[in-house]
Amino acid sequence: MLRLDTARRFRRPSCQQRLHSHGARHLYFTNRTLTGSGVLRLPNGALLGLAAQESPSSRGFFDSNEISHYNVPTVTTDPIVLSDLLAELALRQLPCGGWAALASSSQPAIEPTCYSALALDSVPVGDIARAQDFLLRTQNPNGSWPVFPGDDQEGGWITSLVVMTLRDLVPAIPARLQGIHWLLNCAGKEANWFWKWKFRTADRHVRFDPDKYGWPWFPDTVSWVVPTAFSILALNQIPCSCGGLEQIPFRVNRGVAMLMDRACPGGGWNAGNGVVYGGALAPHADDTAIALLALRDQAEDPVVQGSVDYFERTAPALTAPCSLAWAILALAAHRRAIASLRSSLVALPDLSSIEDTSTLALACLAIDYRRALSAFGVTV
Amino acid sequence: MSVTRRDFLIGSAALAAGATVTTPFLLPKYHSDQRPKRSRVAILDAQQYSAQLDQILAAGLRLFPINVRGKTVVLKPNLVDYISGNAINTHPLLVLAAAKSFRRLGAKSVIVAEGPGHQRDTQLVLSQSGYQQYLRDEKIRFVDLNRDQMIRTPLRASYTGMKHLWLPQTVLEADFLVSMPKIKTHHWSGVTLSMKNMFGVVPGARYGWPKNILHWKGIQKSILDLCATVPVRFVIADGIVAMEGNGPLNGIPRALGEIVLADDPVAADATCARLIGIRTQPNRAHSREREIPRQRFSGIHRPGWRSNHGSHKSIPSGAGVSTSSCTVTDADRKSVPVCGPQGNTLSVLERIGHSLPSVDALPLLSPLKNDQRTPE
Repeated sequence: MLRLDTARRFRRPSCQQRLHSHGARHLYFTNRTLTGSGVLRLPNGALLGLAAQESPSSRGFFDSNEISHYNVPTVTTDPIVLSDLLAELALRQLPCGGWAALASSSQPAIEPTCYSALALDSVPVGDIARAQDFLLRTQNPNGSWPVFPGDDQEGGWITSLVVMTLRDLVPAIPARLQGIHWLLNCAGKEANWFWKWKFRTADRHVRFDPDKYGWPWFPDTVSWVVPTAFSILALNQIPCSCGGLEQIPFRVNRGVAMLMDRACPGGGWNAGNGVVYGGALAPHADDTAIALLALRDQAEDPVVQGSVDYFERTAPALTAPCSLAWAILALAAHRRAIASLRSSLVALPDLSSIEDTSTLALACLAIDYRRALSAFGVTV
Repeated sequence: MSVTRRDFLIGSAALAAGATVTTPFLLPKYHSDQRPKRSRVAILDAQQYSAQLDQILAAGLRLFPINVRGKTVVLKPNLVDYISGNAINTHPLLVLAAAKSFRRLGAKSVIVAEGPGHQRDTQLVLSQSGYQQYLRDEKIRFVDLNRDQMIRTPLRASYTGMKHLWLPQTVLEADFLVSMPKIKTHHWSGVTLSMKNMFGVVPGARYGWPKNILHWKGIQKSILDLCATVPVRFVIADGIVAMEGNGPLNGIPRALGEIVLADDPVAADATCARLIGIRTQPNRAHSREREIPRQRFSGIHRPGWRSNHGSHKSIPSGAGVSTSSCTVTDADRKSVPVCGPQGNTLSVLERIGHSLPSVDALPLLSPLKNDQRTPE
């Protein structure tokens, strides 16, 4: 990332004065052409990104002519936006080391903490060690993770995400092993013979094969797409299936079969099933993307191929950063073109003021998609 | 007769076991009924979504003695998922009109809050359904209940057997919670109205998408536990365009042209059900105990009201509220006071309801085409 010294580049006093008087951390004059963009370090240490003007509020400070007058070199906006988002993410870290789900909340939660820790892993901002310590502290006695500290101790789907987040942390190995054992013992309710029988005979409104089961959001409910996909991703990262982990290949295969079975008829995935009461359900972007990440090794399967094709067609219409970020990761994992999707993501207005912290972190991961895919154990 | 120590111990054990088994059935399953003693319901005619909803709703709200001055009002629309062309969600213009009306009535703040039950990306639903732009333009705060701060909340009823739920702070701290359902049929529960709409306050981040645990615990039982714990103070039901058939997502949009207002969710839901031709019946056992469900929907599974378009005119065509005179008109076009000394509007609507044909009796003016039939 390029950083320019304001005093050196902006010699005109009036211009410097305006910069100095500008107290906001995030003033940047972006437009999609990227002409004349750059990043300036303000005297107070804040970063200032520059490009041609677009925001009405910023128009009073500079215009494109002024920028060209000061000969600001061109850079791509991705690093600018990424640095801005990472800075915002670091600011949102709570004293306990975790992150809250919403910017307005002070209740730390595990899911945003995992995404944030993954996003900030390779940059010297935020306190990753404190985040990892927070995750280790919050593990349930049964090896699972709760949704947030203080939650009931039954555990839930989030365990798979924590297992991936703590992947490179040596002191976390015992905790991860406990988490993996919990995942192996946790299955959708349809894995039980009684419910299998019920779904085969009496309760047939939802079309699915109960022999093919995965993971539930929480114990005592049936399998769903997102928890199953995350569990497959987590278990695929385990290098060997020995020492009590012999079940891994079996559970991964069952999970993959479940995902294939529950795909929507036209491609993609809804939350859990493709057909209910004889009607086809519409696929969801994030469910589809997370399932496609988990099915990266089955890329040649017709169901996966069809879903990737469908997703490639429909993803450009996405307007929300969370779905867009997942779409970038999934299509990149399947080696499809993502340049326009990335441009759409970084061009979204007010990205850094997104209330939802998980979405903010996911946007960072999508911009830096190669590292993100590696964190999810997906090789491209 | 002498009682040996062994007899005494065996007798005590039997007594304890018996008490353990029977106590759950003897204990009341609810704490208190917080609904008004006299329920009021108003049915407003509104044929389309337009800026005029603001005036229609303001006039309708004047029928009710509600005081929101200085209070935090939380509007809970039904915002589940977005499928182009389907009438799934409460229309944003109605929510906007409600927000403006409550602001005019002196509310300290008006918040729109929802935790979509199917779609995890809340912002995507907001953006696709048009909410995002409207809320931004009117500077109305939106809270994603799926991810709001959660508070462990003991349930005030025990139909599901759950002792507590983690519920969002925004809802628990609301002074005045307004349920704003879309009038829809539902393939599991028959209908989804103001009480079922409260499923949206259960945080997906804690309980998953959809809120699967509530389905496993029983939809009807979960509705009762939720509505006893998070009291709905007012209902504004969107029946301008309703949904019939394979709801709550894949049903057929159906022009009903009504907005239902009520200060009692049970009365509201009973009225909405009648409007779409589903017969409700008093739940005598429950009403004796003054329990939440004084009325419940008939147990018959009906995924649609199965009349072809336009036949809902078999509902008394004049059955609406004259907002100026504060009355409803029944099938015989006789005016009946809504808010007058006769009080319980539900009984008034009961009269109208009797003149409504039941689902079975709805005349099918022409046979349904195959693609209009409800898959069952």
